[in-house]
Amino acid sequence: MLEVKGLSAGYAGSEVLHGIDLVVNEHEGVIVLGPNGHGKSTLLRAITGLLRPTAGQVFFNGKEITRWRPDVIAAAGVVHIPQGDLLFPEMTVTENLLMGAFHRPTWGERKERLDRVYELWPWLKDRGGQLTRTLSGGERRMLALGRGLMSKAEILLIDEPSLGLTPLTTQQIYASIQKVKESGIALLLADENANHVAGLADRVYLLETGSLVREGPADTLLKDQALLESYLG
Amino acid sequence: MSSVTVAAPTRPALDEAAAPWKRVPLYAIGGTIVGGIVLPLVLVRLDIGTYLITLLILFFIQAVVAQAWNLIMGYGGIYSFAQVALFAVGGWTSGVLVHSLGWNPFVAVLFSPIVAAIAALGIGLPTLRLRGVYVVLLTLAFHQLARVFTVTGPRFISGGGYGLVTVQTFSFGDNVIGDQRTIYLYYLAGFMFAIATFVIWRVIHSPLGVAVSALRDSETYGVSRGINQFRIRLLLFVISAFFTGLAGGYATHYNGGISTTIFDFPRIIDLLAMIVIGGWGTFAGPILGAGIVIGLDQYLVALGDYRELLLGLIIAGIAVFAPQGLWPVIRGLYEKYLAPEAPPPPAPARSEGTS
Amino acid sequence: MTLLVQAIWGGVLFGAVYGLMALGLTLVWGAVRFLNLAHGAIFTVGAYAAYWVVSSLNLPILIALPFGVLVAAAFSYLMHLALIRPVLGKPGFDNSTLIATVGISISVSAAAILIFNPEYKVVPAVLPGYFVISGVQITNQGLLVIATSLALFLLVYLFLTYTRQGMAVRAVSQQMEAASLMSIPVERTYGMVIAISGALAGLAGVLLSPFFFLNPNSGFNPMIQALIVTIFGGLGSIRGALVAGFVLGIFESFVEVFYGVAWAQPGVFVLIILMLILRPNGLFGIGEVRRL
Repeated sequence: MLEVKGLSAGYAGSEVLHGIDLVVNEHEGVIVLGPNGHGKSTLLRAITGLLRPTAGQVFFNGKEITRWRPDVIAAAGVVHIPQGDLLFPEMTVTENLLMGAFHRPTWGERKERLDRVYELWPWLKDRGGQLTRTLSGGERRMLALGRGLMSKAEILLIDEPSLGLTPLTTQQIYASIQKVKESGIALLLADENANHVAGLADRVYLLETGSLVREGPADTLLKDQALLESYLG
Repeated sequence: MSSVTVAAPTRPALDEAAAPWKRVPLYAIGGTIVGGIVLPLVLVRLDIGTYLITLLILFFIQAVVAQAWNLIMGYGGIYSFAQVALFAVGGWTSGVLVHSLGWNPFVAVLFSPIVAAIAALGIGLPTLRLRGVYVVLLTLAFHQLARVFTVTGPRFISGGGYGLVTVQTFSFGDNVIGDQRTIYLYYLAGFMFAIATFVIWRVIHSPLGVAVSALRDSETYGVSRGINQFRIRLLLFVISAFFTGLAGGYATHYNGGISTTIFDFPRIIDLLAMIVIGGWGTFAGPILGAGIVIGLDQYLVALGDYRELLLGLIIAGIAVFAPQGLWPVIRGLYEKYLAPEAPPPPAPARSEGTS
Repeated sequence: MTLLVQAIWGGVLFGAVYGLMALGLTLVWGAVRFLNLAHGAIFTVGAYAAYWVVSSLNLPILIALPFGVLVAAAFSYLMHLALIRPVLGKPGFDNSTLIATVGISISVSAAAILIFNPEYKVVPAVLPGYFVISGVQITNQGLLVIATSLALFLLVYLFLTYTRQGMAVRAVSQQMEAASLMSIPVERTYGMVIAISGALAGLAGVLLSPFFFLNPNSGFNPMIQALIVTIFGGLGSIRGALVAGFVLGIFESFVEVFYGVAWAQPGVFVLIILMLILRPNGLFGIGEVRRL
């Protein structure tokens, strides 16, 4: 459903991504593994319109979305949960969630969608009136995920879900993402370590200095410790 | 461990290459000065010559104020709208000294820049610590204040709400009248312009000017390198006010008065247009802009009120679509087609060790 | 007693006026982060549009009022399309928008002179008439202005807090990238805020013109006052605009009544300087203000 062909992108004249080819099929969980600074975030940003690609194309469900504005891409069902959460600091937990359902067709169903998100993280309902800038790291991550789920996403692009979290919280987050995958939404996850992704992944790409160097089914690639160590250090 | 020897930190030497006598060929400056001196003598022979000389005087006055404003706005990034008010402070100072105290205009006009500079100090101290937007507001408020004060203030200032209407003008002696007098006024204005231009040039190319540009371009970096932002901006502000006040004083004794209409929109518009059209943040920009606006004015005046409309639209358009103004365009064309090859920069000293 | 009533009435009226003008300004700053120096010009646009309806089309002021508001809103939106949107996100944004809005102010002023003439115009009040309390004229139009101002503050507050679009405006002003990832159209949201701000300014223009005579520079002074109030109350704060408006309005009115007109402006000036020294963010400011 999501197809990336020959995508190149960069910042201020220096190219970070060089000709990326990538595919995510329906209901699939695809992981892009790579060390920090090698272009994972750039890749996700280029796909969802936050960054203009210098070359290449992105297709979603057959339609080319390469130069679309980020809000149009999001409305089409490609939802990006960005690195660092990017929550709305002066808004409450509930308001953040509601913003996730901003798209007019989705807005009408916001109550139902809220209930679904509350099933995953009941505390969001109890602390709905709390301002987000008073939340802890793990809570912010859960809220960011919940916010992304408020939309009618067909595919979720998640950028480093475990960034800055304690091991316990990391486990919780991945468990939640697992549930999301089970509900049928496709996933494109960018991550730095391979520890928790085994249950989620159908296929894995390895990204090194802006190029995809390996691709393969999750069970084979993830079990190859030597390979992983050489790439991820 | 590399073998680079670290030199003891020294303050950078004054940029010799930037000194005026190196940047602009000497003959160009000399030629301009000689030309400026000779010009009125030539013009006076023409029918419209005297009129042209008065235009030039107007140009000198406006160009000084435009340069001064550009110094703080274009270079310093200080969005002050108090320029006209400071001009008025200068004008009123000199006017009152002459009108109410009977001083000689030549003496009184020396106090204009001083009082204006003091006023600038007064405005700047609370204002310049704050971010741009607050400067806009406070200087606009000062403008309003000055306006209200000159209109409703004590009689010797407000002259019944119209300003100072009969102020003694510069007198070069009882025998000097008519064209001769105009020429003398021209030289006086030209002298003022030359000094202001020179000083502003030096300031721009001094460590002060460089520091200010650095701050404008990247404030946090500049501050991290030890530039005291507030003191520098204050200094620049005061220098700008000094020359603006001087121009105001001159104008009062040139025109024989100063009116409260000076606070009206059109004056600020004209000045802003000069800077925006000429070249925001460049040295020659405001001078070029002053020339353009005053020069074209003669034709634009025929348009009546369309002139203001046109100016406003041009300012808005340039600000958005060509924020650099005309001067960089002209300079670019010059460098592309006319300028001789610039000498290559000196090779950097070799002192690094292995890496 | 008369003086006291005069001072209070003036204060509340000024307060409502300042608040109304400041509301639009602070909305735009909070959302789009630029200082709209064309705010006064839009005030003028609204007022002249209403005047035109009344004098050329001979329609009642009640029809002219919404017309003026709409024209002001449309004008603002056009300004956004032509001058703001092209420089959004570019490095020279602050500079360009400041100068561009000044340019617009100039142009509107000039256009008003050209289309109408520089003579003072009379715009009829929506609610004519007055009654007298303790020797002071309480105009019905004045009461309307106060009521409208308070109502609009409430409406804007409700809009921002409870409506989908209003929340989107807040979202965009707090975290622009995230907002666009939620399918919020950022540029269009900016345009909407600017149009709303324009409508507010236009409304102020139509309602206030009966108090003074309408002339091409009518909007300049209200805008300066609005700027002062906005900064006093805190850039970006709706609450601040409301409170600061009334505080400054009442202060100015009392100074004017008891010490004379000449001291009113300097008094406000001193007050704002004090505020900026003691509390640069204003009463309820949310913005960052660097102190050296």
